[in-house]
Amino acid sequence: MPEAALLERPTQAFTASDALSLPVMSNESPEAETPHADQPDLSALFEEQALPFIDQLYGAALRMTKNPSDAQDLVQETFVKAFAAFKQFEQGTNLKAWLYRILTNTFINTYRKKQREPYQGTIDELEDWQLGGAESRTASSTRSAEAEAIDHLPDSTVKDALQSLPEDFRLAVYFADVEGFSYQEIADMMKTPIGTVMSRLHRGRRMLREMLAGYAQEQGIGLNPDTGARAPRSKK
Amino acid sequence: MSDCGCEKAKAELEEYLHNELCSSDAADIREHLANCAECTTEHLIGVVLTETVQRACKETAPEDLRDMVLSRLRLSQQHA
Repeated sequence: MPEAALLERPTQAFTASDALSLPVMSNESPEAETPHADQPDLSALFEEQALPFIDQLYGAALRMTKNPSDAQDLVQETFVKAFAAFKQFEQGTNLKAWLYRILTNTFINTYRKKQREPYQGTIDELEDWQLGGAESRTASSTRSAEAEAIDHLPDSTVKDALQSLPEDFRLAVYFADVEGFSYQEIADMMKTPIGTVMSRLHRGRRMLREMLAGYAQEQGIGLNPDTGARAPRSKK
Repeated sequence: MSDCGCEKAKAELEEYLHNELCSSDAADIREHLANCAECTTEHLIGVVLTETVQRACKETAPEDLRDMVLSRLRLSQQHA
């Protein structure tokens, strides 16, 4: 693979220029606050730029902590830390990735310690990600039905399946597939080499796919419709 | 090994899906997909999986959370 080759990924440079050039005046603020002399610009800028990510950060925090109250605490911590460090944030670079790094760090350093899952350290060590795996098992015709079945699963089922993945796999899948971060950005957030990210992503996605295909089959999605409670059993 | 291109395609489909391939590798995959029903199905499942997870994980932060964050920010500003 050529190393400095052009990536397909569209460059999504965060443009802070709009926010910067606009005068930050609060003529519609309900409780007209008296701005402090030294800091008002930075804090207004932070609120304007970072706060819109609250829904996404909360979504990620939910997947990390697995419960709404810890997720809320984690998001609050993240914003407080990000605000304290905002002076160091280089305008024009990717703010979302920066916030996610703080979120992930905070999660790993505080929450993960609290809710220690069973040790999963060896998970990365198996090197089977190049193998064909799930895809080669089923015939091509059933596989097009598989796509449709997965597509029709209720959100709660999908979230439960994601939730049951080992944490590192779950986060890799969440970062790549939900948030659209690049492998390099995920590697920076999870502090692992890119190869590990790829492996976690591949395994996480494969487990997820198997689980979802399994649920779909159990619930009869993509199979024959249920015949109902009174369906006559062929007793012969 | 195999010259039908499936092997290379299957190994790289996930990177292709995530836009991680360089443009010439991505072009190879695109070309292969145009001619291979099996890999196209495989790719479709990958796309659907991503979209399904994206859809399921859409969350809205509770309104109180926004307020709490704002008040903590204001507080830390005062103590700065």
